[in-house]
Amino acid sequence: MASGPDESRRQYLTLTAVNPADGLNQTVQISYQRIQTLGRRSMGHTKECAFIVPIILQKPSAIFEGLRRDEDDDRWGCGWRCYCGVPDRAYTADGTQRPPYRGQVYLVFINDQQVAYNWRWERADPDDPRLPVDHEKRFKRKLL
Amino acid sequence: MRALPNDEFAREVMRIARTEEPFQPRFDYDPDGDCIEFVFQPDPFYAERLDDLVTVYYSQETGEVIGSLIKGVRGFCKRVLETSPGFRIVFDDGRVKLEHIFLAQLLSRKDIRPDDLASVTYPKLMRAAEESDAQAEVGVC
Repeated sequence: MASGPDESRRQYLTLTAVNPADGLNQTVQISYQRIQTLGRRSMGHTKECAFIVPIILQKPSAIFEGLRRDEDDDRWGCGWRCYCGVPDRAYTADGTQRPPYRGQVYLVFINDQQVAYNWRWERADPDDPRLPVDHEKRFKRKLL
Repeated sequence: MRALPNDEFAREVMRIARTEEPFQPRFDYDPDGDCIEFVFQPDPFYAERLDDLVTVYYSQETGEVIGSLIKGVRGFCKRVLETSPGFRIVFDDGRVKLEHIFLAQLLSRKDIRPDDLASVTYPKLMRAAEESDAQAEVGVC
């Protein structure tokens, strides 16, 4: 449960995500440090991690690979993925559950070590509300 | 490496995140994403990309800017120091003031116009960073 890419320095929680290559499960990790950061922010942010992130990783509406940047940087190429979906809920700052935000999607970003390092709401594509706006420009390819 | 069932994962997240600390403006460098996240209000937010470096967080409740994500920090510092070696003075022993990162990016953009969103948003982020005296210890600049 607490193993990770750098066990000596950071601890990680492990959860399940769908693997776009074969549709089977793979594991994704989230660092304790990241979770503690959310705790100092708000109950709402903590609950997004606890309850929304797994939904998106396990039942995404799309998975993109290769975060486009202007400069050529391999670290942002293959293996860096964005899972996208519309969860059935959102949370206010005090942690109260509420309906999801209209016209928005939830994105979870993972690196090539299968570590989820960022997640958030973004505006949805007006032509396909299951996808983020400008997805054609932002990612190199759509895997799912 | 065993993946936790979702209910157990949620319990662990709630346990690890538990704290009595009140909210304070915070910046955090995350080596997993090589990014600096700066949040100065606790509201739930949505994100919009400002440019290649910065994504801005807007409050879901007020629409105001409440934070930002700076991506590719190592590469950014390297590029800035190559093109503007004078920034070595403000990138002090790997500790970087956030307003200096915003300023470096703003100065590096040749396409910016006074009516651009970036012209309004960067000063807001710089003011918020300055008020919170946010310094990121990234060890790579």
